[in-house]
Amino acid sequence: MTDATQAPVSGSGVTTSSPVTDSDRRRLAAARRRRWMADMPAAYLLLAPVLVLFAFSVVYPLIQTIWLSFWDIKGLYPPKFAGFGNFVTLFNDATFLRAIVTTLLWTVCTTVLSVGAGWGLALLCSLAPKATLIPRVLIFTAFGVSEAVTGYIWLGIYRPDAGGVLNALLSAIGLGQFAHPWLGDANTAIWCLIIAYSWAQTGLPLILIFAATQAVSRNVIEAAHIDGAGPGAIMRYIIAPLSLPGVRVALFINLLGSLRAFDTIYVLTGGGPVRTTETIGFFMFRESFTQFKLGYGAAATLVLLAAVLIISIPAIIQRTKEAK
Amino acid sequence: MIGKAPRWIPIVVGLISILWIVPLLGIVITSIRPAADTVLGWWQLDHIELTLHAWTTVWSKYPLASGFVVSAELAGIATIGSMILTPAAAYAFQFLRFPFRRTLLIIIINAFVLPQQVVVIPLFTLWRQMGLIDNLASVLIPYVGLSFAWSIFLVKNFLEDFPNELIEAARVDGCGPISTFFRIVLPNTLAPVFAVGILQFLFCWNSLLIPLLFLRSHIPLPVVFAQISGMYDPNWDLRAVAAIVTTVVPLLVFLVFQRQFAGGAMARSGTKD
Repeated sequence: MTDATQAPVSGSGVTTSSPVTDSDRRRLAAARRRRWMADMPAAYLLLAPVLVLFAFSVVYPLIQTIWLSFWDIKGLYPPKFAGFGNFVTLFNDATFLRAIVTTLLWTVCTTVLSVGAGWGLALLCSLAPKATLIPRVLIFTAFGVSEAVTGYIWLGIYRPDAGGVLNALLSAIGLGQFAHPWLGDANTAIWCLIIAYSWAQTGLPLILIFAATQAVSRNVIEAAHIDGAGPGAIMRYIIAPLSLPGVRVALFINLLGSLRAFDTIYVLTGGGPVRTTETIGFFMFRESFTQFKLGYGAAATLVLLAAVLIISIPAIIQRTKEAK
Repeated sequence: MIGKAPRWIPIVVGLISILWIVPLLGIVITSIRPAADTVLGWWQLDHIELTLHAWTTVWSKYPLASGFVVSAELAGIATIGSMILTPAAAYAFQFLRFPFRRTLLIIIINAFVLPQQVVVIPLFTLWRQMGLIDNLASVLIPYVGLSFAWSIFLVKNFLEDFPNELIEAARVDGCGPISTFFRIVLPNTLAPVFAVGILQFLFCWNSLLIPLLFLRSHIPLPVVFAQISGMYDPNWDLRAVAAIVTTVVPLLVFLVFQRQFAGGAMARSGTKD
């Protein structure tokens, strides 16, 4: 008989009805230690492929990105150690500073627009869940379309020739003078990107927040209805407050997604015109893989990582605390 | 809704959803109309003729067929890889005791915040040194490796509610830790493992940055498509077909498994459902 059967599986929370003596405790502790050692080969056998792949694709690259950021690498020339030189250059590089501004504008606007639209629609839908099923699914469908294809769809809307939906729409309603090469103008290109990306990202907040509102008990709403509350009051005092957890989750997901966004920008503008639509996540791609300044690109990536970590602190703390 | 849901709500939501329907519809219509008829816009009605011309000629114009095969290979292998390796790791973290268990767990499940951009530069130099550029492994390794951050979290969350008595009973009956996994835990963990598979399939099929950097001759559909739509190309009808081909498989999977997708997306963000 193995010790495993006597030791509690969870390794903690031993409860016995009879008083526990010191020798009992020692025996249990020893058994637990033996179990700990007995599990070890099996555990590492099961984990080995995961640990190897994770080390290859996360741990090593992360450390190496930090290391590379201290090196000046230009194409095939031998790398020179640069200390914090790359970071000094970055923060004196007008293109990078503009990428920071673009990233802030892009991240804040796309998150607010997509979560805001999704929230508003979710609240409307929560009052008539059955009748709004089809429009809900259609909006969610846009979220399932590949990002590269989303870019193409909006290319067709913004294109400056006669086939462009936006310009045609403007002239149809008599505002033809506002027709515009939307993506070719540095003043409008970033807003075009923001709208295209938010359009694609509205579906997830809509579904997540709608699900949160459906968790509200029917009895609560019925009771409020009997007490004379109209749809407005039910919305204001019951559904809206209870939708907030869903909103929080959606905000975090879309914030992270916007910060790392790449595909839509790549397809719609490629960062142009004159690099005005480059976010940091795109800037690092441009510097590292078209100019082959790998160290410089790595330094820019670390700035992106810092931004990601700052907004992720609460989630990381929560995950770490709950990891048992 | 109880009693009278305001009649205007479905109407308003329906009208708003037109903003999402019309652009999607535009692609489908562009793909089945002669290119000459849509020069002034796919919505022009003065001459209506439907054709499958674009659908039949696109295959020789763009490498869509080979892109489809590569996409299916990459997404398929990466999905199976994650579905096999994730439950084993989640089981080990949940039920076995071993040194550094909690440390490893915390590192892995917090890696979900990392953007792909953080890992691509070192991987690019590493694959170049190892001669793996243009090898499917250069893409499959990060696909599977990056998935563990959220997939292990998702499956382990499920296992937290797994009845301990079953495990203890198996041990009493003489099952070792590994056979306990294969005989008791794995058969009862299929639901979250399928959720992992669906999410992983969608992410891998739609992924652009990693294959764009690491693959040259065998490129999956999103890369093919990005290259087509990146250059100036007047063939809107052909590209509409290419767009549909690129996204039809993940879109169908997505629509069929919406529920699992929303739940999985929440798990990725660090929230339990």
